[in-house]
Amino acid sequence: MASQSPFPYTGPAALRQPVTEALTRVVDPEIAMSIVDVGLIYGVTVSSEKLHVLLTMTSAACPVAEVVVEDIEAELEGVAPPGLPVEVELVWEPPWTPERMSAHARRFMGW
Amino acid sequence: MPGQPASRLHSSLSARGKAAPSWAAIVLRPLLLALVALSLLAGIAGGLLRVGVSLPARLDADWLGRAALAHAALMTGGFLGTVIGIERAVAVRLRAAFLAPLASGLGGLCVLFGQTGPGAWLGVVAAVAFTGVNLVLLRRQRADHTWLLLLSALAWLVGNGLFATGWRSAEILPWWFAFLVMTIAAERLEMTRLMRRRPAAQGSLYAVLAALLLGAALSAASPVGGGVLYGVALVLLALWLGLFDIARRTLFAHGLSRYMALCLLGGYAWLAVAGAAWAAAALGLPVRDVALHALGLGFIISMIMGHAPVILPAIAHVKLQFGAFFYVPLAALHLSLIVRLGFGPADTSLRATGALWNAAAIALFAATVVGAALAWRFKYRNRGTPPTRKTS
Repeated sequence: MASQSPFPYTGPAALRQPVTEALTRVVDPEIAMSIVDVGLIYGVTVSSEKLHVLLTMTSAACPVAEVVVEDIEAELEGVAPPGLPVEVELVWEPPWTPERMSAHARRFMGW
Repeated sequence: MPGQPASRLHSSLSARGKAAPSWAAIVLRPLLLALVALSLLAGIAGGLLRVGVSLPARLDADWLGRAALAHAALMTGGFLGTVIGIERAVAVRLRAAFLAPLASGLGGLCVLFGQTGPGAWLGVVAAVAFTGVNLVLLRRQRADHTWLLLLSALAWLVGNGLFATGWRSAEILPWWFAFLVMTIAAERLEMTRLMRRRPAAQGSLYAVLAALLLGAALSAASPVGGGVLYGVALVLLALWLGLFDIARRTLFAHGLSRYMALCLLGGYAWLAVAGAAWAAAALGLPVRDVALHALGLGFIISMIMGHAPVILPAIAHVKLQFGAFFYVPLAALHLSLIVRLGFGPADTSLRATGALWNAAAIALFAATVVGAALAWRFKYRNRGTPPTRKTS
């Protein structure tokens, strides 16, 4: 499916924008930047069984991952169809690289 | 294709509604946080006694004398070692990883009860377990910062080993501080990936940290040479952080990001002061208190103040409502350090006054954290749906 999302999205077209906006509201507090802008979302799949998010972090040693996962779940609760489970999967492959940052994020960080 | 995982080295699932509070959440974390608080409070009380602050007579107990003697062990191991151990255990998501902070926290308790030997060996157990945790993280993500975190764990192990086998503080402290300084350097190196890094940045950091470790190793055999090298390495690290850290960018953000950036940049300034004083103290100048506390309070407590609003939700499950009031304890810490470290070498009463204000700044920060936690609960309880408290 052709995607206008900043990450690969598979699922009902009507949910694409609300899901993207919900994920964009989750912010990395240290850099005041959305996790979507930092490029931490590897993909979203919405099926009849679940809303599945693939997430990475810049560091495996960062304890904040759990909080980010909780924040994602909380934001997606507001947009997911009632009763549809939300799953957030944390992966380390492929590793995050700065090229994944959005143009806005790169500009802010002086690229 | 970019964005699609080819393989998954590690994955963990979190599904809405499936999580039940584990025994770790119910018993272990409150116990660990109590041990952290105990080491911190006793360490501060002992520190105040060391600089000659008169504490209330009721506090003049045996434990206070022991806390004064073991001030550095309580602050770097019982307090900071345990906090960092919890932080890393939460990150690695393995229950066994909590052995490290449990051992270091209990080690602090043993020291306070006069069991310095068992307490010191618990510190060794903590550092061995912590090294294992960092090996797991390295296997999960082979990156420059995870290698450095492993090295920092080994520095803690060396320091704790020296403490347990009866070496002197002048030989132990460089290792304990190397553990803390390298932990921070590794985490900041990781963040610099967000910026366009100059080619020499990484290599120069490795050279600085190698000098730091060499300085620590030489401190036993050659106190002057080792101390000067260690101090110079700290100054160079401060320059590196000032040049390459993202704080220079995030200073122009807003809210919490700007506050964190100020904590970081203020901390880097004290790191430079600490390095210069460390080298000067090795050459015989009476600035040992400046070296130790520009580093321990100016650099490290600044980092704690900056990161607490982000880390506490992760390690203590407490959300904080950030507000401008966070700048008050930060300013109090830095101003009190100017009094203590700027005037202290010439006037011991000002040193004691500054130390008392240092403690007051930390207490004010603790009160700010409590207030911010209550403010968050009040705000989201009124709205009905706190974003991270789900029971369904």
